[in-house]
Amino acid sequence: MTTVIPFGPQHPVLPEPVSLKLEIDDDVVVGVLPSLGYVHRGLETFINTKDFNQTTYVCERICGICSALHGITYTRTVEKLFDTEIPERAQYIRVIVGELNRLHSHLLWLGLFADGFGFESLFYECWKYREEVLDVAERICGNRVIHSISKVGGVTRDLTKEHIDMLLKMCDSLETEIKNIEKVFVNNYTVKQRLVGLATLSKQVAYEVGTAGPTLRGSGNAIDVRETPDWDIYKDLGFKTAVEKDGDCYARTKVRITELLNSLTIIRNAISKMPEGEIEVRVKGFPTGEAIMRTEQPRGEVIYYVKGNGTKKLERLKVRTPTFANIPSLLLMLPGVKLADVPIVVLTIDPCVSCTER
Amino acid sequence: MGMLNLVLTNISRKPATRLYPFEIREPFKEFKGRIVFDPENCILCGLCQKKCPPDAITVTKADKTWELNLFRCIMCTECVNGCPKGCLSISNERAKTGAKEVIKIAVPIVDKPKAPKAAPSK
Ligand code: SF4
Ligand code: SF4
Repeated sequence: MTTVIPFGPQHPVLPEPVSLKLEIDDDVVVGVLPSLGYVHRGLETFINTKDFNQTTYVCERICGICSALHGITYTRTVEKLFDTEIPERAQYIRVIVGELNRLHSHLLWLGLFADGFGFESLFYECWKYREEVLDVAERICGNRVIHSISKVGGVTRDLTKEHIDMLLKMCDSLETEIKNIEKVFVNNYTVKQRLVGLATLSKQVAYEVGTAGPTLRGSGNAIDVRETPDWDIYKDLGFKTAVEKDGDCYARTKVRITELLNSLTIIRNAISKMPEGEIEVRVKGFPTGEAIMRTEQPRGEVIYYVKGNGTKKLERLKVRTPTFANIPSLLLMLPGVKLADVPIVVLTIDPCVSCTER
Repeated sequence: MGMLNLVLTNISRKPATRLYPFEIREPFKEFKGRIVFDPENCILCGLCQKKCPPDAITVTKADKTWELNLFRCIMCTECVNGCPKGCLSISNERAKTGAKEVIKIAVPIVDKPKAPKAAPSK
């Protein structure tokens, strides 16, 4: 006989409200019914009252963790609509801030995840390292979480010599620290016991249901927007997509740790390649037409669509966020999992519900 | 094993946290803390009001006042970049908690005598 147990919307492990109705047989999940819509804010309609420069700030508030990358994707989409080429230095600054975003998002996730399986000291350790990244971000952008660095036509702030020294110092200290926690996540007996073989998603299924980000790469698909011509600035920043074959929770954790180290490499290379010069260009006129652009966020691929109608306000903005793409795979992962492991499985897709609902 | 090393090094390290209300970290000089308005040069042109994304600024020409709603301001510095007279700036001091919601500042704008009309050319 099966029982239906509600999981969420408020749950100690979940940072954000998502409600799952779990159909339980004995101790094992046999069916899931998700329900979303607790944090819908109507931002896509709200932009009809703001001009396209002001919309950048609205887009950054879609999600608190990947805020800079939302802003960067939006501005890149509008620049495509305007057919504007921004200075190379501005592109490199965007890459650096985007990678800082990825670093602090993944460290936050690793901490929450450790907390999810009851490893409190590891949780504090991860968040301590995240603090270093946030301090650097505060000094570069002026804010800790909502970075507001990107604007239509370039970036708002330049990197000084001091900032670059600080970034390099942060890269060095974080590298040793991440290698320390990597040892714990990869070799610890308890962690392995909890994660290996849990909620396996095969390569083919992950590809077919349109999974994105580390969940997709944890299943053996080497797909990353940063390697495609859509974001070509990355092609000579010397990073290699992190892929794991197993497709279980352990593989997804390892992918995220490897991505942390990749981000450090990218920041170092971007600093060494960054040219001097202007950081913004003026954009003039009011655009018409449509544009679409995608970017790799910490959680996966985000797609922005904008439509201009010749006035200073955009007619339509549509965002497809990575968590939305990952929910079908979550529903495939959960059946067969024990009730006690459900929080861990939900956390491995790194759910960001306020992104999904906007 | 890795965790044991971490725990042992952490025991000998100084604390990672601060005793907050007693020990306050100096704000970084790049930090966007709050908007400072200098009423001296303001011409009440209203550009800052037009640029502000969350409509935090209200410029009233009739009463000669400039108003900032602190609870609405998102520290984007659009107004600072947009002001033609440079009377807005950003300070790295944190806005105090429990601050007043709205700051209303009177602008001492002097009514200049109108320039005499140029004599019509013959
Ligand atoms: S503060 Fe600057 S932009 Fe705002 S009304 Fe005064 S002069 Fe104009
Ligand atoms: S900083 Fe931004 S939100 Fe605050 S008053 Fe200026 S324009 Fe408005």
